[in-house]
Amino acid sequence: MKILFEWLKDFVDIPVTPQELRSRLAMTGTAIDAIEQTAAGTMLDTEVTINRPDCMGHLGVAREVAAIFRTPLRPPNVDFRETSEPTSKAAQVSIECPDLCGRYTARIIRGVKVGPSPDWLRKRLEAIGQNSINNVVDATNYVLMELGQPLHAFDYDRIAEHHIVIRRAKAGEKMRTLDGIDRTLGNSMCMIADASHSVAIGGVMGGQESEISSSSRNVLLESAWFDPVSVRRTSKALGLRTEASIRFERGCDAEMAEFASRRCAQLIRQLAGGEILAGVIDIYPGRRERARIPVSQREIVRVMGASVPDSEIEAILSALGFVPRRTAGSANSDASAWECTQPSWRADVTREIDLVEEVARHYGLDKFPARLPAAREPAARLPHAAARERLKERLSALGYHEIVTIPFVEPVRDDIFRDPGVQPVSIANPLSEDAGILRTSGIPNMTATLEWNINRGQKNVRLFEIGAAYRWNGAETVEESVLTIGATGMAREKSVADSPREFNFADLKGDLDQIGELAGGFDWTAGAPSWLHAARSGTLALSGEFSAEKGIAGQLSREAADKLKLRQEVFLAEFPLAPFYAAFDAARVGRRFMPISKFPAVERDFSLLLKDGVTFAQVRDAIEELAIAEVISIEAVDLFRGGQVPTGKHSLLVRVTFQSMDATLTESQLAGFASRIIDTLSSRLAAELRAA
Amino acid sequence: MNDDTRKTLAPLESNSPERLPEIFASIREDFDREAAAVRDAQQWKQLHDAWLGRKSGVIANITENWLKSAPRELKSAVGQSLNALRAHIESVAAQREKELREAAEQAALSRERADLSLPGAIRALGCRHPLRQTFEEIERIFLSIGFSVVEGPEIETPYYNFDALNIPETHPARDTMDTFYVSTPAGSPPRLLRTHTSPMQVRTMEKRKPPVRIIVPGRVYRRENPDASHSFAFHQIEGLAVDRDITFADFKGTIEYFAGQFFGPRTRVRLRPSYFPFTEPSVEFDASCSMCEGGGCRLCKQSGWIELFGAGMVNPAVYQFVDYDPKQYCGFAFGLGVDRLAMIKFGITDIQLFFQNDARFLRQFP
Repeated sequence: MKILFEWLKDFVDIPVTPQELRSRLAMTGTAIDAIEQTAAGTMLDTEVTINRPDCMGHLGVAREVAAIFRTPLRPPNVDFRETSEPTSKAAQVSIECPDLCGRYTARIIRGVKVGPSPDWLRKRLEAIGQNSINNVVDATNYVLMELGQPLHAFDYDRIAEHHIVIRRAKAGEKMRTLDGIDRTLGNSMCMIADASHSVAIGGVMGGQESEISSSSRNVLLESAWFDPVSVRRTSKALGLRTEASIRFERGCDAEMAEFASRRCAQLIRQLAGGEILAGVIDIYPGRRERARIPVSQREIVRVMGASVPDSEIEAILSALGFVPRRTAGSANSDASAWECTQPSWRADVTREIDLVEEVARHYGLDKFPARLPAAREPAARLPHAAARERLKERLSALGYHEIVTIPFVEPVRDDIFRDPGVQPVSIANPLSEDAGILRTSGIPNMTATLEWNINRGQKNVRLFEIGAAYRWNGAETVEESVLTIGATGMAREKSVADSPREFNFADLKGDLDQIGELAGGFDWTAGAPSWLHAARSGTLALSGEFSAEKGIAGQLSREAADKLKLRQEVFLAEFPLAPFYAAFDAARVGRRFMPISKFPAVERDFSLLLKDGVTFAQVRDAIEELAIAEVISIEAVDLFRGGQVPTGKHSLLVRVTFQSMDATLTESQLAGFASRIIDTLSSRLAAELRAA
Repeated sequence: MNDDTRKTLAPLESNSPERLPEIFASIREDFDREAAAVRDAQQWKQLHDAWLGRKSGVIANITENWLKSAPRELKSAVGQSLNALRAHIESVAAQREKELREAAEQAALSRERADLSLPGAIRALGCRHPLRQTFEEIERIFLSIGFSVVEGPEIETPYYNFDALNIPETHPARDTMDTFYVSTPAGSPPRLLRTHTSPMQVRTMEKRKPPVRIIVPGRVYRRENPDASHSFAFHQIEGLAVDRDITFADFKGTIEYFAGQFFGPRTRVRLRPSYFPFTEPSVEFDASCSMCEGGGCRLCKQSGWIELFGAGMVNPAVYQFVDYDPKQYCGFAFGLGVDRLAMIKFGITDIQLFFQNDARFLRQFP
């Protein structure tokens, strides 16, 4: 709501500059977005909260100003002379839907001369963003901006039988509104009609047929109160928000309707001449008792933590129109209590807490003390906070940057990576098709982020995201926490101190194994979704009770990379975090110190010639099954094919480390171990020992 | 080199004790001259062998040829002179060796001196996303004053997102939170993407009685067209404290403590009355503008203040939905915008940078 400083001064003395007023208004709840200079003086662009329709006009803001400076409010004076002809003889009003229209007033001004508005008025309206139309319409808009009450001026002669009927729209009824658009109406909408057809959509917009034109001579002036919920639904259904609808939907002041009618009639006569018929037609089925609301010092202390001087409470509530009347306690006693009367313009204030807020905001929130609440219970982190922290720490140490993406993805992109049978969650009203569903895994966003970086020259990146994957599980939605990893480019870039090396599947596997170590280790098995490279991929699972949910890792297949236009090799992995966190906790609980032997460890290398298809795991298992207590590690340290190695075979260098807790191992012991190992490998795996 | 030492003393006609000092002084001079001429390790080795060599060094020769054959009356004098000479030679040779080694080292150092402007061997480290760093910092601050962390679903029901927060379907506040709805199977209840983290207020209070003191980090969604300051998904940390004796003073103390910890002691803060359906009194929490320090600039729209987040005392209407007695309990709630706080803290001008995840952006937050 744009407010003119000079216009405010019509109703209240302001002892400060606009800049100072801005901060005082802000500190009592009326935020000012900006201050601008206009042809009509300083304009304050106020951001009126939706509970305060009374501040959608200058008078309401002036009341706040009066309360701030404790100066009197001067509402406009609306004395005027009327003709002897009674309004009630010249027109008729019937309300058929009192649930939608709580009050309807009509006044008639005869013999107006429609023309341009005077300069002072045009300047004011234009300064607050309203086009000047003609003096009669401008008068209604001026009063709207002054009092916050929407009004409508009809051409009296275009109202059939001079009979206003307020009724629900007939299903499928059509009307052309002032903006020239044909609207189809529904049964829940409140229409203003005459004896034959609709002339306006109540509280939203007038119709074109009955609008004031340059030839209009007589005006029927509507000032009414429409049900906020109904106006809001109508406005939403029609996609039509107007200065009138935004006020009615927040709840206008039914009492103001008649006052605004008088004010507007006075202004029309002042601007366009004519004479005002005697009296007003005022149908008021929605008249309400004003609520009596208590407020006590005790409640102020209970909510705000400190009391407010009685005199301040009384001054504030009086200035805002609540008419406080003491009901208990003597001045400044803990027992002080008042009963207030709800002003008609404050439908938002109905409870004691509402009055506490009124007092607090005008007394000054800065005047209340601050303290830290006493602790009653220990604070708890998320159950998996420690696991997640350690996981992220490892990922950072391994060189992965953390990313945060928005999980809306294009359905075709998600399709590439989605397991058949997974039902994605779609957005019913997406902003665009390429953000139409919630991702079913972190992979679509991860590949998109790699692509973003590669396309911008960031070709060597390793990324991870801890995020959610979304899907339907029957009638319930599931948000599963997953870790997604993506890597591309060089594992190590060329530098003065280093030679370059490309990231490969072994890097991905090694990184995942270092992560898995936190949770008892990953077991790898062959097989992965088809969008991963058939040879360079695998499935990983935690051990034991945490093995049910599996992860995948590998190089993106050429076909999928082509679809995504990724022009370099990309490595991806994802696994669910709930079992990982659980396994992390179990591993931590079960972790025990292993004594370190005082005796030297001895390494023995076995250079094995193996048939292709024999895996390192088989070699390791075969050695482990010998159950030699002194074997403390079995590692693969070199692998090669070709050269002197016959086709169909490969050479694997296996390093076994021996150590005893009790003594230094002797050469004969070591020779014994080695021959047992060679025997079992050759008999079980047909391994040949090459010259080491 | 003094060849006399290869002979006995007798032929030198130096049997008189008076001649001895002269002879030894001359030998010593020879040595000093040779020692001074030594330039490198090889020459030093030659010097050492010539003078201190076991078999044919000068000292060995003197011992063999002079001392052993010296007449009785001269033995003592020759011995003393020899010892003095040996001590001198050993000392000077050691000194020269040290000088030569140091000179060599010095030369090597100046040859091999590391160019400190060259990079070391860099092991790639990953960076934590600035939003996550901000989440962690905020969580740490609130944990330290007794707030527990809880999480809730992003796909919510209208009941938790709106109705139970005193925002009925007819409330105009719904228009201020443009909502994404989820397509649901026919006959299923409606679902939406939560527009704030506040649903967890209700979910938490439904499950437990006061004292409640929680924060809820999470992602929220608004159906807004993206630009430099808007994203259709962003992040919040909800806070809620409800107890018998919680007042506005506790609320004020809590968020002022937060602001002091998060922004540092120089930042001034203020509470400004506002409106939210689920709090009353409602406030906006502002901090003095970090760009102009309160003087007024474009960032703060000339007001000197930056709007940080909305908060307030829990509206008693909300307690009715969770079966709390509003006469007994009082509390406060707040909803921090994490993206906004991170933008202000790091001077980030475009919210989209958070979600593009350009490595050049991420690396700026080690």
